Amino acid sequence: MTVAWIRFAFTAIFLLLSLLSFTTAVLGVYRFHFILNRIHAAGIGDTMGLFFLLLSMAISAPSLNHILKLSLICLFFWCSSPVSTHFISQMEFYTNKDIYSSIKRKDIPEESADRACRQKD
Amino acid sequence: MLNNWKKWLLGDGEVLDDLPAPREIPDLSREKIKEKNRQKALEIENKAWIKRLVRAESRGFHIAYIVIAVLSCIGMIGVLLFLIGNLPNYGQENPRTLEVVTRYVEKGLEETGAVNIVSGMILDYRAFDTLGESHVLFTAFVCAMILLRQDYRNMHSPVDDFRSLIGDEYFDLSKDTILQESGALLGSWIFLFGIYVLLNGQNSPGGGFSGGAIMGTGLIIFAASFGMARVDKFFTRKLFFNLVFLSLAFYNFAKGYVFFMGANGLENHIPKGTPGALLSGGLILPLDIAVGIVVACTMFGFYSLFRRGSIGGKIEP
Repeated sequence: MTVAWIRFAFTAIFLLLSLLSFTTAVLGVYRFHFILNRIHAAGIGDTMGLFFLLLSMAISAPSLNHILKLSLICLFFWCSSPVSTHFISQMEFYTNKDIYSSIKRKDIPEESADRACRQKD
Repeated sequence: MLNNWKKWLLGDGEVLDDLPAPREIPDLSREKIKEKNRQKALEIENKAWIKRLVRAESRGFHIAYIVIAVLSCIGMIGVLLFLIGNLPNYGQENPRTLEVVTRYVEKGLEETGAVNIVSGMILDYRAFDTLGESHVLFTAFVCAMILLRQDYRNMHSPVDDFRSLIGDEYFDLSKDTILQESGALLGSWIFLFGIYVLLNGQNSPGGGFSGGAIMGTGLIIFAASFGMARVDKFFTRKLFFNLVFLSLAFYNFAKGYVFFMGANGLENHIPKGTPGALLSGGLILPLDIAVGIVVACTMFGFYSLFRRGSIGGKIEP
């Protein structure tokens, strides 16, 4: 009885954590304007949110078989989601001419940014 | 290497150095290009079978063609209107549909031998519908091919094509290490999962359409990560059309046989097997495989056509 309650508590905690991550992801995707920021926000949902969700399901899973299946799903998403994100951001980098004016970071010197832009043209 | 990494960390790296350098555009004048195209067109028009076709068309073949098309359209419309006239009125309860549902649920396992009743329904009771669906898929593919395939006629000037080829090379992802590694890791497993879904259509959720879609996705991932040239080595245009033709023909003949026997009240002698085993459900497993092959080939064909305008890589005259 006690073990079941402890399992339930952990399941609930991790479910709430995943809900928090997904909320962050959805808010970020809608609130940010620049595509790289939005990719970052979406990645939180794809990796951390999914991980916590599957972890909570694994804790309350009836058998080891289910846990293995859930971990395979997690592995698949962790392999495929970053790759697709990588290519979306790479395309943005190659095709967006004004990408440096959208970033505005202090540690990127203006000269190197200009040089990269000129090479691309 | 450490130096490069430091550069990358500080955002000072030359990321764009790795890109292929833009090549020179061939310097052909517009007149030369036009002359070349004209000569090629003349060459093809002088071929014997094209001359025969032109002669047949001038003899009124195309009028017969139009008449046949119009007549078959009118016939089809008539059949459909006749069938609609026999439907029950709107809002009226149709007792036949209830009978059908009860029959599917209560006798589905016994009559089709498939644990998955949905598979038994779409590939046994209503196999004719699925046959039409796979033909619709193939027809859609043929239409896309008519519109998108590149041959010498619908190509622009060589300069334009050269530019598009350069663009394709510039944005080609297949040289990327990350994509290659993840493609090698995931592609084979996706393909294996597609085969599993395909073969277990009669026992678990899945079947021809979903398994074929997963297998097509695996092929697309393979093509995207290792380049189209490596797929062309085993997946040629001939193989594509042979596979699709054989699958559709097998489906037609097998199901035609079963329908013919069933309509005349005869045994069809196809063993049903033990429900739940891999080889069970009579014709459902082979038909699932046929549908899966058609779906996988069509999906990959769409990808290949939209990406470069051909299947198998060669641009034929």
